[in-house]
Amino acid sequence: MREFSEILLASFLLTDIILAGTGRLRQAIRLVALQGWAVGLLPLVMWNWTESGVPGISVFAVAAVNALIKGCALPWLLSYTVRKVDARPELEPLVGFRASRIVVFAFAVASFAAARPLGASAIPGAELAIPVALATMGTGLFLVCARRKAVTQVLGFIVFENGIAAFGSGIMMEIGIIVELGILLDVFVLVFLLGIAIFQISRTFSSLDTDQLSTLGDVHLMHIRKSGETGGRK
Amino acid sequence: MTDTLRYYLTGLTTVLFAVDLIQSFFYLPEADRREEGEHMRHSTYFACLFAFFAAMLFALNARSLPMMWVAVELTTLFSAPLIAYHRTRGSVEAMWKYLLICSCGIGLALFGTMLFMHAQTTGNVAWYKAGFAFILAGYGTKTGLAPFHTWLPDAHSEAPAPVSALLSGTLLNCSFFAIARFRELMPDEASAFATHSMLALGIVSVLTAGVFMVRQTDFKRLLAYSSVEHMGLATILFALVAARIPSDEGECLCDGGILFIALLAHMTFHSATKTMLFLTAGNLLLAFKTRAIAAVQGLRETMPGHSMLWVFGILMICGMPPSAIFLSELALVASAPIWLSITVLALLFVVFAAMSRFALSMAMGTPTASRPEELPLRLVVMPTILCSAIAVIGAIACIATLFM
Repeated sequence: MREFSEILLASFLLTDIILAGTGRLRQAIRLVALQGWAVGLLPLVMWNWTESGVPGISVFAVAAVNALIKGCALPWLLSYTVRKVDARPELEPLVGFRASRIVVFAFAVASFAAARPLGASAIPGAELAIPVALATMGTGLFLVCARRKAVTQVLGFIVFENGIAAFGSGIMMEIGIIVELGILLDVFVLVFLLGIAIFQISRTFSSLDTDQLSTLGDVHLMHIRKSGETGGRK
Repeated sequence: MTDTLRYYLTGLTTVLFAVDLIQSFFYLPEADRREEGEHMRHSTYFACLFAFFAAMLFALNARSLPMMWVAVELTTLFSAPLIAYHRTRGSVEAMWKYLLICSCGIGLALFGTMLFMHAQTTGNVAWYKAGFAFILAGYGTKTGLAPFHTWLPDAHSEAPAPVSALLSGTLLNCSFFAIARFRELMPDEASAFATHSMLALGIVSVLTAGVFMVRQTDFKRLLAYSSVEHMGLATILFALVAARIPSDEGECLCDGGILFIALLAHMTFHSATKTMLFLTAGNLLLAFKTRAIAAVQGLRETMPGHSMLWVFGILMICGMPPSAIFLSELALVASAPIWLSITVLALLFVVFAAMSRFALSMAMGTPTASRPEELPLRLVVMPTILCSAIAVIGAIACIATLFM
């Protein structure tokens, strides 16, 4: 099964790099769904079939719930939101698409370098899992910071969460199903709430640019004071 | 040690939740009447409030470390809708920032938890250190430690008063408790690393709070930065408790046990005083319809009761003697290494100067043209009860210390 796990992990890196270079929402959501399925399959593929035999029912359950939530429910939720609020594609991100690709590529290289001292003690078969997880987490956080639209920021957050889950399927196997389900529930409710927040943003701001979400904050306040107005909004 | 902290914080959270719940019954109808625009339904508000409370108790009492993570994330989920109680542009923005920043932070904490658990099975010190770094960044985001505090002033200033009080008085303690739990599990070889990183984060927090307080124009943000400062102080205190750094060779004024009591006193008095201050600030906001310090002047003439509560609360939170914060800060300064004592004292002075300047100008300045609206008396009941409790218990603690 080693080849399969390597193919799956490579697909993480590939989706990261394509995601960094696209502004089309449909395509981005589909890529995130693909990554969700990969997260779901990962615990099954990482399982040592030849030595440990058929895994217990809990491993299958975790894999199924993971794939259903991250591969189906979250992407559906997002595309529903995109349709309802009529979200526009990301055209002018804070960091351009080509630069984003280079940054994500650099993340991948850096995480392979960073995982070398840690990797030796990890579980067999997980040599590739740790750097890939680190690179995916980095990509997710980068997308949250480097994009303007609320929807693409949520996508970045899901990629970040996928990275943690990929790392977890190498390490968290023995912790238990309840914890895994609790984490999944949290992520699901969180994305649900973020969706509601997007509805409210589009209603109160009549746009989904998070640039407009900058009335609060103290640096901004000092700027106002310089231009002669008095502080104290509301 | 963390068990004592756990029981203590559970009790504190319950008492302060009761106070905030009662204040919600008084505050919400008044706020709805005065603020135009949409607001959340009261049934949803109270459902979220109780779920938030339950999640905080779960976070404090969860046995396994990943379960604690699930609970802390749940507190974010239930408190976020409360911030956007009034659907204004500001509150929606604050909710968005709170959800996104805290979730990314908490995600790092989950990663740290995994690293930590793997370290426990292998006993590798490098994994312990990496895990603790991520945990400090992750739960530190939720605790409001600088430089991860950026959500905190926005959320605290935009939320309705009882929610701000709950966020500041109880939620920050819950994620602080998470850091404390991991700190206690660190092995001795990685202990110095943990102490130094906690000290560094604590000092940066107090410094950031001081810098942003000096030129503040918004009184609720002023209180929010004061929370950043006090969580920083609590982190420094806990780092000292866990490491038991002696002041000089053998001559240690306070040992770890007394420092731990100081930490408990600090957290209690910070939570209680901050709850009272946020409730008072909410009343001022209702009366003046603005959070600008410049517009709220001369409270002594227009609202004498509130002006007394406000000035008293600000002096208490800055560590004037009847407050136990004075004792805990004294213990911190007396037992820390000399460079740390001097840094903390200097920063505390900056904070005190900023806070008392604004508090006194609000109480004593000449009233502006806009007169405050009359407030019903029931809005002052809870702040007054808290205020007298703080004064009495603080005075007893101070006198008891004199005879120790």
